[in-house]
Amino acid sequence: MSNHSASRSPLGPEETEDLAGEYVLGTLNAEQRRDVERRLLEDPQLQQAIGDWERRLQPYTAMVEPVAPSNRLWPRILRTLDSQEAAQSAPADDRAAHPAGLLSRLWHDLTLWRGLSFASILIATGLAAMLAFSPAQAPSSRYLVVLMTPQHTQAGWIVQASSPRQISLKPVGTFEVPPGKALEFWTKADDWSGPVSLGLVEPGETKQLSLDDLPPLEDNQLFELTLEDDTGSPLDRPTGPIQFIGRAVEL
Amino acid sequence: MRFTGPSGVRFKEVRVTDDAAAFNPSAADDHGALLEACARGERQALQQLYALEGSRLLGVVARIVGDRGIAEDIIHDAFVNIWNKAHTFDATRGSGKTWIFSVARHLALNHVRTRHREVTVDDETADRLDAERAQEAETDMQDHFDWLGHGDLDRCLAQLAPERRNCLFHAYVDGFSHPEIATRMDRPLGTVKAWIKRSLAALRECLS
Repeated sequence: MSNHSASRSPLGPEETEDLAGEYVLGTLNAEQRRDVERRLLEDPQLQQAIGDWERRLQPYTAMVEPVAPSNRLWPRILRTLDSQEAAQSAPADDRAAHPAGLLSRLWHDLTLWRGLSFASILIATGLAAMLAFSPAQAPSSRYLVVLMTPQHTQAGWIVQASSPRQISLKPVGTFEVPPGKALEFWTKADDWSGPVSLGLVEPGETKQLSLDDLPPLEDNQLFELTLEDDTGSPLDRPTGPIQFIGRAVEL
Repeated sequence: MRFTGPSGVRFKEVRVTDDAAAFNPSAADDHGALLEACARGERQALQQLYALEGSRLLGVVARIVGDRGIAEDIIHDAFVNIWNKAHTFDATRGSGKTWIFSVARHLALNHVRTRHREVTVDDETADRLDAERAQEAETDMQDHFDWLGHGDLDRCLAQLAPERRNCLFHAYVDGFSHPEIATRMDRPLGTVKAWIKRSLAALRECLS
């Protein structure tokens, strides 16, 4: 059958079972997984079939050796919950009147998108554009990047560009850099051979940058923050894990 | 010897084994109750879930993503998700334990599938490689996983050939994609895909 025109057509019982099994097993590719996660919202049979496979297979996770989390992990979870709550309880007038309030509202609104598919992140980005570029802010801004955790569950920073050569990086959440480490800021356009370092970033501080030595900012350009040694990556590319990542949207 | 539960309920004597569920007979149901407490805003309940399952969840996620730091990031996100979505947990549709493991596992799977773009080869090359592999491959009769004794699926899994069980567990436990399983098993990609599809159907048949 045609996979293109009928990609979102209703599934037969057999197809539902097959798709549910492969989804839970983990063999679907990124695109197929997103498709399942979208279908799931409106397909009770698929929900049921996935639930059945989760229940059957979950006991076999016991084959994996447990790994004790570091002592930092639980406090970090608590800090995230605290910042969510702080954003939720901020007085409404404040939020509307001050850019800082806008940012914390944006932060809160983005947290509502936690765990949803990549499609939702695009919606969240649209939302971000509305909030971050209200008249009280920078009216001439032309590009926006929301840098999220690699799992797209949490926004950490926003890049705003008032021109293709002038950008600012603003924190919207808290991030704790482990001792001896630093956050390094990178960018890469689609047709560049590799990422270019934009320098080290202090958590919680806004950073202004001119891209004088680089080609002008373009739509879909990639930005990321990686965790490196405190002197920065020893190579001309990232060596540490990605903490936050996002692509530029032209407004 | 008698054990006293957190709420003062006394459990009958049980033999102490490695299996925490056997040690504490109510453990499986506790997760659901803790999730309901999370939905009411009780952070202590989330902390208890973390104490109960944090290291097992981290083990499962680290095995899939292959990086301790990223695995901790995912567990962070998983617990924030569990907290934010606890109100959507429905005890009539599955256990709390299954629910929290699936939250963490799917975050890990989304991460590896999004990060590693699948390498594709043209059909002709794939067919040739498949034919070569099919000729060279010997039957692998060894189980790669110590799967017996974990769940109700044991009886049905036992009816599959070891090779096919290996495919299922390389996917479920290691988080391998079809091409990764084909490489690990030294089998043609098409064969691996067909095996997994048929194995899942055979398991459903066996259970019905």
